[in-house]
Amino acid sequence: MTNTALHIDHIARVEGHGNVRVVVADGAVDTVEIQVVEPARFFESMVRGRDYSEVTYISSRICGICSASHVVTDLKAIERAFDVQPSARTQAIRELLVYGSYLQNHATHLFVLATPDFVGTPDIFPLAASDPALLNSALEVKALGNELCTRIGGRSVHPITAVVGGFTHEVAPEEYLELAGKMEGMLPFMEKAVDLFNSFPITDISTDGDMLAMVQDGYYPIITADTARFLQADLTFEAGDIGDNIEEYAVDRSAALFARARATGRPYMATALSRINASWKHLSSNAKVAAAKAGLRPPELNPLKNNVAQAVELVDALERCAGICRRLAADGYAGTSEPVPFSVKAGRGVGFTEAPRGALFHDLTIDEAGKVVHASILTPTAQNLANIEADVRKLAEKLVGEGIAEAALKLEVEKLIRAYDPCFSCSVH
Amino acid sequence: MGSMGNKGNRGAGPSDAGLRKAGPRSGTPRVVVVGLASCFGCQLQITNNEKHLLEVLGQFDLTYWQLLSSAPMPEDFDVAIIEGAVTTEESVQVLAELRAKAQVVIALGACANTAGIPGIAAKGFCGRPAEVYSTLPSVCGDLIAPRSVTSVIEVDYQVPCCPIDPSEFLEVLSKAFYGSNRPLTEKTMCGDCKRNETGCFYPQQELCLGLVTRAGCGARCVKVGRPCSGCRGISPEANLASARESVVRYGLAAEGFDAALELFNQTNPLLQGKD
Ligand code: SF4
Ligand code: SF4
Ligand code: SF4
Repeated sequence: MTNTALHIDHIARVEGHGNVRVVVADGAVDTVEIQVVEPARFFESMVRGRDYSEVTYISSRICGICSASHVVTDLKAIERAFDVQPSARTQAIRELLVYGSYLQNHATHLFVLATPDFVGTPDIFPLAASDPALLNSALEVKALGNELCTRIGGRSVHPITAVVGGFTHEVAPEEYLELAGKMEGMLPFMEKAVDLFNSFPITDISTDGDMLAMVQDGYYPIITADTARFLQADLTFEAGDIGDNIEEYAVDRSAALFARARATGRPYMATALSRINASWKHLSSNAKVAAAKAGLRPPELNPLKNNVAQAVELVDALERCAGICRRLAADGYAGTSEPVPFSVKAGRGVGFTEAPRGALFHDLTIDEAGKVVHASILTPTAQNLANIEADVRKLAEKLVGEGIAEAALKLEVEKLIRAYDPCFSCSVH
Repeated sequence: MGSMGNKGNRGAGPSDAGLRKAGPRSGTPRVVVVGLASCFGCQLQITNNEKHLLEVLGQFDLTYWQLLSSAPMPEDFDVAIIEGAVTTEESVQVLAELRAKAQVVIALGACANTAGIPGIAAKGFCGRPAEVYSTLPSVCGDLIAPRSVTSVIEVDYQVPCCPIDPSEFLEVLSKAFYGSNRPLTEKTMCGDCKRNETGCFYPQQELCLGLVTRAGCGARCVKVGRPCSGCRGISPEANLASARESVVRYGLAAEGFDAALELFNQTNPLLQGKD
């Protein structure tokens, strides 16, 4: 293959609409472009002028699958602006809510969207015939994620109950125990699933980009810290200083802004793999064993390993959430989930969480009447786009050098993009 | 757009739609699922019926579902399920093509039925792109102020709410296949609260849009302690003027009520006419 223009219009089995173009000229990779053609909905403009209490309702509609993350991120931003400190119990329940979306997202991505790449089918439906047990268990993990979001948030998509300072509704202790039992029951399947994803052959490449994740002493954090780290550059910063550390820039072929690290100018990966690299030693005990068995240890720089990283995170999430549920049932966290009293005041707050697909930032400025005057939202996929492009180039260079056929190159490029679990609709917002 | 100004939608109860009567061209109805400007949450809700998912999928030929498959969009199909608001001229074209090809069109979710959350941007639309982009990327296409699917083409069935309820979707789907004509209720939501015995937000001086919102979700939000934000759309039976009066009677501002309605009903002509 010396000359070819590979154009994948509408990459399938990802959320939203993205294209990729790879041009090979005289046996060398020339152009590599990711195009994000998702419709712009202007969320940052839509929340401007709205009351703070409506913000979570609006921006959760950026994305159905990680709506819980958008809500919790907004709540953190508003609470930073108003100086509100929610109780330990509220924090724990928020963690459950976001983990509910991890279960939904990772299970859907791994079993429904990614698996067909490795078993050679156009979609998941043939699996219903060839391996119904696997598909059923996979759907059960996803269903448990829905159940967790529904019980905690009031419905499986776009949670209702999470508000500034607390929750408007909480389930009874028995329900927490029931959830814990179900999670523990699903652990053996997920541990096996880590092996399954690890058994799929992948191309050996490593990203040249950096990795970004939330970090916290002694814990595997997804909402409980405000500190982020670029792992390769070993640069740690507070979410409030996001503008000094992350640079967003426009490219004409994409309705989503791209991002890079300001200090190094490097693109970076904000994914499950970044989190595992950052906080491997704080994984739950079963997750650590599963990761070690799968040879997943930091520093792991192959972006295709993000699939295995997500599977390991599912083991971690099941074990961790079962623990949180049992502790909630035993009233083991300080305070109640009743919203704490607060007063509206002018200020700025940056909410930072680890959404299922990677780091998520909402930067809000609110006036003394409680109206939003400025909003800036940085989603995981927007942060990953530049790195995906760089990785696709690296992969194409390697495979074209090895003389790969065009159809096989197309599949490998798609596999890599899907491994990032991109959400193009989120990235545009 | 909710009840008014849409192109003569037959709501959930067309007498002439339904594949059995119209007669599908092959034995199994061929279905396409298309997403416009949306969060994908309603498509996700379809898959959130895990227990029944495979069973449901077995009833028809899911010819095209971009979210789940890499197969290309077919030329021929019977049913088009459309999620999302219309935000570009290109989408207007897509809708015209889908309408021309499909015997049955189902509008999925608040975005498709009322323009939903994307519809908030309809107000002062021209100024919005510049608030986000210094130069608008060319791939953004030919932008138009967001509108509902139902304001652009005639739809046969509506599944309201943000997000849709998976069971309600299945009900509507079977209506579409078998041509039942039971329409969506036109009542407002307050009756549900009486039945649920959850009390009302107004005596606590909290706004709730259930006063004017179409019933049918069982007052889902109120049941878990949060006022209704109107995602099911304004009910045809709603009386906005008298709702504003009761809001004021409870010591709240009518302006606040109107502002809250913009969340899911910005493009409803009832709101456009308010000032
Ligand atoms: S109606 Fe709501 S859940 Fe459905 S696509 Fe629109 S924003 Fe998403
Ligand atoms: S106004 Fe709201 S809370 Fe009150 S009865 Fe109606 S729906 Fe229920
Ligand atoms: S209570 Fe209102 S906002 Fe909540 S689901 Fe029902 S219609 Fe939508």
